[in-house]
Amino acid sequence: MKIDIPYPLTSRHIHLPKSIPDTFSGRHLLVTGTTGFLGKVWLAMVLDRLPEVERITLLARGKKGLSPRDRFEEDYRSSPVFRPLRERLGMRLHDLMARKVRVIEASLDQPWCGLGEDRARRLAKDVDVVVHFAGLTDFEPDPTHAIEANIDGSSYIADLAACTPQRRLVHVSTTYVAGAVSGEIEETITPGVSPHGVAFDPAEELASLKAALHGTDTKKQRTSIAMQRARDLGWPNIYTYTKGLAEHLIESRNDVRTTTVRPAIVECARSYPFIGWNEGINTAGPIVWLLSTSFQRFPSKAKNHFDVVPVDTVARAMILVVARALCDRAKSVYHVASSHANPFFFGRAVELTGLAYRTRYAQSDRAYERHVLRRLDATTVNADAPQVFGHRRLRHFVRTARDVLRNMDIADALPPRMYTRVGDQLEETRRSLSNKCRQTERKLSQVDEMLRQYRPFIHDYDYVFRTDHLQQANQELTEADRRNFAFDVESIDWLDYWMNVEVPGLETWSIPLLRGEKVPRDEPLAKPPRVFTPLASTPMGA
Amino acid sequence: MNSAAFFRIEGALTKKPTWAAAAWIAANAQGVGERMARMGNVALAAPFALSGELRSGDTATRLVWSGLRGMSEDRVTVLAREYYDEYLKESVTELGEELVDQARVRKQRLVLISDNVDLVVEPLAERLGADDLICNRLEFRNQKATGRLLDPVVGATVAGQWIRQFARECQVDLDASSAYGASAADSLLLSSIGRPCAVNPNRQLRRIASAHDWPVVQGS
Repeated sequence: MKIDIPYPLTSRHIHLPKSIPDTFSGRHLLVTGTTGFLGKVWLAMVLDRLPEVERITLLARGKKGLSPRDRFEEDYRSSPVFRPLRERLGMRLHDLMARKVRVIEASLDQPWCGLGEDRARRLAKDVDVVVHFAGLTDFEPDPTHAIEANIDGSSYIADLAACTPQRRLVHVSTTYVAGAVSGEIEETITPGVSPHGVAFDPAEELASLKAALHGTDTKKQRTSIAMQRARDLGWPNIYTYTKGLAEHLIESRNDVRTTTVRPAIVECARSYPFIGWNEGINTAGPIVWLLSTSFQRFPSKAKNHFDVVPVDTVARAMILVVARALCDRAKSVYHVASSHANPFFFGRAVELTGLAYRTRYAQSDRAYERHVLRRLDATTVNADAPQVFGHRRLRHFVRTARDVLRNMDIADALPPRMYTRVGDQLEETRRSLSNKCRQTERKLSQVDEMLRQYRPFIHDYDYVFRTDHLQQANQELTEADRRNFAFDVESIDWLDYWMNVEVPGLETWSIPLLRGEKVPRDEPLAKPPRVFTPLASTPMGA
Repeated sequence: MNSAAFFRIEGALTKKPTWAAAAWIAANAQGVGERMARMGNVALAAPFALSGELRSGDTATRLVWSGLRGMSEDRVTVLAREYYDEYLKESVTELGEELVDQARVRKQRLVLISDNVDLVVEPLAERLGADDLICNRLEFRNQKATGRLLDPVVGATVAGQWIRQFARECQVDLDASSAYGASAADSLLLSSIGRPCAVNPNRQLRRIASAHDWPVVQGS
C-alpha cells in the first residue's frame, strides 16, 4: 500500500523523544547541594532509577571533621534517603558509589568554586550538565551568608557551567522569587525587572548591597539594610531577594544555557525513598508543630493557596527537566508547584492538621492530650484583628505576670512569724513560677517571630504558580517514563496526603528537632572491606 | 436465581440510631460556637423522629443531616470514620453477627440497608463482607457539605417496589430470600420477602410480626 506523505520529512520535522533512561545514558552530571533535603532525594532517585548514568560528580564541603567523601559515605551508609538503594543492593552499594559517584571538595562561595581555574576547567571538560541545588533557604539569614550561598555561589557555578562543552546549567531557585504580588505567576523571567515592575541593574544592585553591608557590625544591622532593599524592589525577605537576584544575574549571562527550576514548598515524600520522609526543619514543620499545641488561632488567610509539593514529586520533575536540558529542549523556567494543577489552601491545611492530631491524640496515653487537646480545633484568623486568646495578648499577660512575681516582696507582705514558717517555700515557688513565665514568654516570642517571617506567604500574598511547562513535558513522556518520572502533582489526594503522609512524616523527621529531640537513624551499612595488596615477596600466611 | 439476605443496619445489626452519627459529627465541628449551632440544627429533627418513623417518612432523615451544612468534606469524612471506629464497630450485636454468619453459610447475597450515610456505614459493610450497601449519600459542593442528601433518599421505610426492582436487576429470588428488621418502619421490607424475621423488634413490629406469623428473634 502506498502512503502519501504530504511534504518531505526531514530530521527537523521528525523529533522522536528519547526515553529518559536513554537521555541520561552515558552522561556525566555535575551536581551541587546534595547534602540538602531535595538534592539528596534527587541523587538517590537518579542512582536508583537511572543506572544508565555514566558518572555523577558532587561538589561538597566537609563537615564536623569529615572530608566531603567521608561525609557522603556516612550519608549513603545510614541516611534513610538511601534506604531503597541499601535494601536493594546491600554491600554492592559501595561498588555502585565507587563506580558512579565522585566527590570533590569545593567552596561555592569562592571563584571557580575554590578549585582553581585550571582544575575547574579540567573538571568541566566532559560534563554534560551542571545541576545546582545548593543554597541557603532560611527566610532571614545573615545577608552576608545569603549573598555568598545564593548569589555568589550561583555565579561561580555558572562560570563552571560555561566551561562545559554544552554550557548547560539547571539552577534550582524558588517560586517565591515572584515577590510581593498576588495572582497567577507565569513561568518567565525578565532580567532587570523587579517584582514591583521597576527596572534595575542586578549587578549594580548586588554591588551596592555589598557596599551597604560592608562595615556593619551586627547581623541586625545587616538584616535591616538588606530587608529594606528587598522591600524596595518587591521581595518580602532576604531569601527571596537573594534567590531573585541570582536568577536575574544568571539569566543576564549569555555564556550559559540556563534552565531555572522553581519548586514551591517542598515537603514530605509520598513514596520515595518511602512514605513521609522529610529532613530538617522545612516550611510546614513549624506550622504543624504550632497547631499540635494549644495554639489554635492561626493567623493566615483560609482561602490563600498553600503551595506544597512532596519532595519526590519535585525530584521526579527535576529529572524530567534535566532530561529536557540534556536534549536541549528545556524551557528557561519551570515551576514545580501544586497551586495551579491541584490547589490546596491554608484553611484546609489548618483543618486537616487539627484532624490529624485529633486522630493521634485519641490514642495518646496522656489524659490532657486525649481529653483536651483532641477536642481543640485550630482555625485561621485574621492576622490584623486583635484576638482575645491571641499569642501577642498571651505574651503581654505572661510578661506582666512575670514582672509581678519578680517584684513581689514576700517578706514585706507576710507577718514576720508566718514568713519564718513558710517564707522559704513561698520564695521558691515564686522563683519557679517566674522562671516558667520567662520560658513561656520566650516561646511565645519565638512564635511571634516565626509568624512575622511567614506572614507574606500565609497571609499577605496569594500565589497561583502556573505549571504549564511541566504539564507539557509530561505529555511527551513514554508510558514507562510516566510511571517513574512524570510530574504527578495532580494525583495528590490532599486529605490522604496531609493526614497520612505529611503530619506523621513531620512528627517523625522534623518536629522532634523543634522539640530538641533526635530523629531516628537507620542501621548503617557496614563499611566497605579495605583491600590490601600483599607485597609480592610476602607469603600470604606470613 | 440467587437468594439474598436483607439486613436493616439500625436495629437488626446495631443499636445505634442514625441521628446519633449526625449529632456526633455536628458536636465535633470546628470551634465551639459552630458546634452549638449545628447541634441545635440536628435537634430540630427530634420532633419528627419522635412522631414515629412511619408518619414522618424521610423528613427526619433529611433534617438530621441538614445540620452538617457548610461543614468541610474532609471533616465529615474523618469524623464519620472516627464515629465508625469508636462507636459503630463495637455496637454490632452478637445476634446480628450470628445472623450475618448464617446468611453467609446459606450463600445468600448480603444486602445491608441503612438510612445512615455511606461515609459512616461503608466501613461496616466492608467488615461484614456485604455484597451491596443501600444507604444515603451526602451532597458536597466545593468540598463543603450542602446539608442535603442525594436522591434517592433512603428513609426509615424501604418500599416493596424498590425491593422488587432490586431483585429484578440482581436476579434475586425474593421468595427464597430473608429479611431482618427491628422497627415498624421495616415492615414494608419484611412483607416483600419470603422469609421475614423481626430482630429485637419494638412493640409495633412485634405486634405486626405476631399478626403475620413472622419469626421473632431476641438476643444481645
